Amino acid sequence: MENRRTVADGLWLAVRTLVYAVLGGAALIAVATVVSVLGPVLALDLYTPPVAAWWTVFTAVAVQGVPFLLLGTVVSAAIGAFVPEKIFSRLLPGNQALAVPVAGAAGVVLPGCECASVPVAGSLMRRGVAPAAALAFLLSAPAINPVVLVATSIAFPGQPTMVLGRLVASLATAVAMGWLWVRFGKEEWLRLPKGRTPSNATTGLRGFASGLQHDFLHAGGFLVLGAAAAATFNIAVPRSVLDVFTGSAWLSVLLLAVLAVVLCVCSEADAFVAASLTGFSPTARLAFMVVGPMVDLKLIALQAGTFGRSFALRFSSVTWVVALASSVLVGWWLL
Amino acid sequence: MRRYGSAILLLLTGAAILRISLLSELYLRYVQSGLRPYLIVSGTVLVLLGAAAGVARWRGRRSDDHDHDDHDHDDHDHDDHDHDDHDHHGEHGHAHPGPRLAWLLALPAVALLLFPPPALGSYSAGREAAQRAAQGVGTFPALPSGDPVRLTLAEFSSRAIYDSGRSLKGRTVRMTGFVTQDDDGTWYLTRLYVTCCAADATTSKIEIRGAASSDRPPTDAWVTVTGTWHPQGELGSDAAWPPVLDAGSVVRVTQPSDPYEKR
Repeated sequence: MENRRTVADGLWLAVRTLVYAVLGGAALIAVATVVSVLGPVLALDLYTPPVAAWWTVFTAVAVQGVPFLLLGTVVSAAIGAFVPEKIFSRLLPGNQALAVPVAGAAGVVLPGCECASVPVAGSLMRRGVAPAAALAFLLSAPAINPVVLVATSIAFPGQPTMVLGRLVASLATAVAMGWLWVRFGKEEWLRLPKGRTPSNATTGLRGFASGLQHDFLHAGGFLVLGAAAAATFNIAVPRSVLDVFTGSAWLSVLLLAVLAVVLCVCSEADAFVAASLTGFSPTARLAFMVVGPMVDLKLIALQAGTFGRSFALRFSSVTWVVALASSVLVGWWLL
Repeated sequence: MRRYGSAILLLLTGAAILRISLLSELYLRYVQSGLRPYLIVSGTVLVLLGAAAGVARWRGRRSDDHDHDDHDHDDHDHDDHDHDDHDHHGEHGHAHPGPRLAWLLALPAVALLLFPPPALGSYSAGREAAQRAAQGVGTFPALPSGDPVRLTLAEFSSRAIYDSGRSLKGRTVRMTGFVTQDDDGTWYLTRLYVTCCAADATTSKIEIRGAASSDRPPTDAWVTVTGTWHPQGELGSDAAWPPVLDAGSVVRVTQPSDPYEKR
């Protein structure tokens, strides 16, 4: 009995295996044939000029961002690994309201575009800098560093007020946002960057390497996400729609402030783009240059990765409004 | 696989950056030439970092007891979760959105390694009106000597439209760009300008007329055109736009390694 049972079982198993193998093999061959025949045709059909342009812009934004992101993560990992815990609290005024403008002005020292400033601001907070001061630094660094100001003066030859306007409006926005955070900010909105437990593995060269690796990968994913969004808008929104709005002064300021968010032009290049937007008032172009380095899709994605999604959305929308207001005021005063 | 994930990603990204900047000039399709040293440095740093991470992981696996890196890593992840109540993610430490999202880096990296996207061409040029450099009518410095004189499309355009000294008059010029065309059959020599990266590309184009313009090359073909300026419209006015060139010769060329013009 037992014996026959095992033989029958074995037979049944063999038959089942055979059936599966035949069915599975046939399915596999069918799939392979269809893919190999249709694949190239489909791929060619899908690789239309807009798709090719999307890929180019997408890769371009990512490639352009990598060196700056790496610079930012190197600085932030170095702060994390080599700078003693209390040094920033000693350097910055204890009073938060005073620390904000100091940190905002300190943005001059980080020569890079906005990708670099997010990880640095994160590591400053990790090192005990008041969030308000770190946020002021985050906003001002990409807008007021010497590289960007020189680029602006080259893009607007003979218009030093444009450079001054950009400096004043950006700094004012950064400081205003810092003060707003002191007054209204809530710690729970901010998912504070990982507080690393002080152990020998996190300081020194080893901590530097592992912090760098972690920060770069973390921010890199968000950079790619932002690049994809920027490329999509770049391809989906033709710039000729801009001509429709050049008539009204108010609409054009609003429009360029929105455009700065969706185009994600890096802060070293946005002056040239702004200069090419002839037909817009100087104030509107100023708004483009003030909003761009502070709020754009790539930056929102990076901030969401570092500080949490709920923070990024709140912070970016308020920053947008403040930046717009400050550039309108400065534009009305200077330009 | 998961252990080596970050090492693989760093190596992939670094290799992709080095492939386009150190081993070829493909980076010029995406960014401007000044970025090359920074790209090479970042590519090298990323490769080294990836190798270091891989070695650290491999050693860590061989001596699991003293696996500092792993403990360290787990520590962060737990810390993260403490701060991160409003953002609930999966049950395990590694379901953290950052590291998982980092796999997105593989997308541009693999694209650059296997099939680098082409330079922007007629599609992008056609999507927006050609940009006019913002400047007033005035005199320009004298053109360099040479017959024909090599110019960028930008130099030609701004001299054609804004130069009250009319320095282009009587000179034979030579320019390289790609072909775009209107529905009515007029064709243009076109070039894109990139300041920082391809996302900020703007267009400049010159209408080609004259004897050699009848055999129009296909759209997107790269050509070198030699000819003389055809004055049109009042200086600085809309009628002067786009500038016109009477072509003497049109020669097909290969795409230059730097497909964009710099400002």
